[in-house]
Amino acid sequence: MTDDITTPRRNFVKGVATGVIGGTLAGMGFYSYTNSAYSRLPKVAREQQEFGAVRSVKVTAISETSWFNNAHLMEDIQKSGGLLVDQYTIGWGPFGNGKGPGKGSYEEGIAKIKKMIPGDLEEAWALQEKSSLHPDNPGGFSTLIEVEDLDGSKHKYLLDTGWSYAWMDQSFKREGIDQMLKSGEIEALIQTHEHFDHFFGFPVAMKYNNKLPLYIHNGFYKEGRQYIVDSGYKGDPIVVDKELTPIRPGMMLMKFDVPIICRVFGETSLAFNVKDKGLVLISGCNHQGILQMTSTAMKKLKYDNDRFYGLYGGLHISPFEDWDPKYDDLVISLGKWNFEKVGCNHCTGHLTARKFIERGYPVVRGTARFRSSTPDYLGNGDTITFG
Amino acid sequence: MEAQNRNISYLESRKLVKRWRGPLPAIANLLMIFALFGVTWWIFQDPRGIMRMYTPYVGYMICRWMLILLIWVAYIFDFWPFKRSWLNKAHPVTKGVVLTTVSVVAMMLLIKGFFMGLLGQYGIAYFSPDRLHAMGLTEFYAEEYSTEAIMMFAAIASWLAPSWVVACENAPWQKLTQPARGITIAVVTFFLSTIVYFLTMHSHMAILFDPWQKYTAITPPYWEGFANTVSGNFHIAWIMSCTVTVWVYESIWERYPFNLIKTNWLRRTSAFFGIIAVALCMCFFIYYAQDLMWGETVRGTRREMAPDWRWLHVGETAIFWLVGVLGLNFYGGNWPTKFSRPVNVFLRTIISLLIGGAVYVLYYKYAHLFLGTQKGFAHPQQFPMIPMIWLINIALINQWFMDGWPGWKAVPKTETELNEVESAVIAHDVSWTPSLARGLAVGATAGVTIYFGVINILPWISQNVQIIK
Repeated sequence: MTDDITTPRRNFVKGVATGVIGGTLAGMGFYSYTNSAYSRLPKVAREQQEFGAVRSVKVTAISETSWFNNAHLMEDIQKSGGLLVDQYTIGWGPFGNGKGPGKGSYEEGIAKIKKMIPGDLEEAWALQEKSSLHPDNPGGFSTLIEVEDLDGSKHKYLLDTGWSYAWMDQSFKREGIDQMLKSGEIEALIQTHEHFDHFFGFPVAMKYNNKLPLYIHNGFYKEGRQYIVDSGYKGDPIVVDKELTPIRPGMMLMKFDVPIICRVFGETSLAFNVKDKGLVLISGCNHQGILQMTSTAMKKLKYDNDRFYGLYGGLHISPFEDWDPKYDDLVISLGKWNFEKVGCNHCTGHLTARKFIERGYPVVRGTARFRSSTPDYLGNGDTITFG
Repeated sequence: MEAQNRNISYLESRKLVKRWRGPLPAIANLLMIFALFGVTWWIFQDPRGIMRMYTPYVGYMICRWMLILLIWVAYIFDFWPFKRSWLNKAHPVTKGVVLTTVSVVAMMLLIKGFFMGLLGQYGIAYFSPDRLHAMGLTEFYAEEYSTEAIMMFAAIASWLAPSWVVACENAPWQKLTQPARGITIAVVTFFLSTIVYFLTMHSHMAILFDPWQKYTAITPPYWEGFANTVSGNFHIAWIMSCTVTVWVYESIWERYPFNLIKTNWLRRTSAFFGIIAVALCMCFFIYYAQDLMWGETVRGTRREMAPDWRWLHVGETAIFWLVGVLGLNFYGGNWPTKFSRPVNVFLRTIISLLIGGAVYVLYYKYAHLFLGTQKGFAHPQQFPMIPMIWLINIALINQWFMDGWPGWKAVPKTETELNEVESAVIAHDVSWTPSLARGLAVGATAGVTIYFGVINILPWISQNVQIIK
């Protein structure tokens, strides 16, 4: 009698246990990737923070050539152990210690040159060349940004400080940046991220002005923060820890917390609202991805005409002339965002620039001067104005 | 020899017995596995370590092919050419060292000899780093591209090779002796992997190069509209889900429910395609769950907002579950075992999901402090599958090659137990009755309700739980 009762009950429980898994799987399989499921996704509200406007933004590419021989750079990375190896240990100047690829260290490198920076950069770099990998290869990325306010007043900002002391000093002098720094004409230095080609040339800026306001991402590692001190900086860096940091009316610093190759974390980029034109985005490397930045700006900021107007910077797509099908997703999709002017260079990559041009995107061409290698995009000494 | 004469595999012929009572064996083995993981990670993979193979694709390829070789040695070749008597008598550590060494040598021969040498030199150029380098790519990317292609092949083989044993029960070659059976199944699954590779990954590789190699591959690939990306990561998503489902079906599900089917061909076919069906359900759900958590993807973005990364992360998430599944099966005694098979399966599924979820959270919260990697969900050059598969490989070596040493030891099964192995192919403990049908209906309704409950709660979790600070 007991068996007669418990057996159906047991069978029922077996059925329930099986059915729960089956029913859950059925929901997962038949509903999850359907239009109906996606119609349930909550609509993202646009916050559209007002941040003022500017009349125009002029950008000068002081140097976009971060390195001059891609094969040499990749050889150093390969011999050091790949794209995840800490940049301070690869053995590049100014942190080479002569022990070979992947065996460098911040401490050993800086110990050799600490007394020379920022005063005697020529001697420091010459000394480093003896113990670093491919010492002729480094160049650097640095950009001058001139903002014209609505009242016509102009304000200058330096975006990044490049890599090689010798190359960056030469580039600064070519574009008059040395004098602008000395005179205090440049109002602040925005160090977008910690990568070697944007940051290792930091002492060059310090040589001319070691007190100017400095913005850094809060993801800077201890070596990077120490380098700022060791380079003779006498101010208090503004450590950016908020998603949006206003710099001046119409100019917003956007922070992205993204892990990056060579053990770097985070990048900041700039957004401008150009009066009657729309939004302009300017980046150092744009490791967060240009459309990620665009989509964040669309959600967070209010700008004229609700329109994307311009784009400038390294767009970090094929910096090593490498490729991946996901980059084609960007090449295919960028057109939908209708940028009127695209100024790109540096880590955008030659191949990407060519693919952009082939698809008819409004890429502003350059003049291929001062060791820039292609006229397909804006090169060293070239300018672009938004507004 | 009795088991071998009856064509019962070594793994099925042995019984792993705890050396000590209580949780000590599991603790000892887990400690050893994590120690081995730490040491070998530092030697081979860690970007701060000795060999630094985590470039990333070199290390990615190695850990995936190592997994295949372990499966080949233990499941496909049943340890041939090693004699059963040696397997029964040799010390587990000796066996672990010898069998792992053989697997590594075979893997290197396959990668260097077959893929890079034969196929890369005489068939498809992108399998050879030397050819790519000679055509103008940097040495680094020449190696990365070719190892990426070889790694993708392994992803497919890691699903099909065990599937033939687990789902198809080695049919129709189950009666062949070794090495004939091993060679046949290896060749057949390799052949099938090649076909699937061409259908899923070849187009991905073809658009790595400029211009797109449209005369040798379909470009843009056929899945672009459906997956919202041209990246082959879409296929990684469902193929890795298949790999995980094979082992779920083999271990914590004890081949339930397809082992209820008595007709051999129907059971095997149902299991093979059933695994794919379960994997597709898992795949679409994990993708959708990410959209619920992080917002809908924007094509052309990078990292966690990009469709290609979300598909990749489907496979990564599934692998975290596999860690939970194998952990429960190997070191938790496949607990619980005291209820009926369906109830055990249900409870183990829940437990393994909880373990997998915990491993997922712990990985993203703390792994960057130990592995030489960066914190964050979507680093373009970081693949959590590398450390997870590395860990799984070590657990498999411990379980298959070392008989669970030091916590467990292998004891030959008795005649009665061997008979049970043979009869266990078909389960007799669940049969169709009206009460089972009622239970199924109630359970299915509850399952659908649970599903909708989960998708409703995910956005709330996204708003209130932060894994990475």
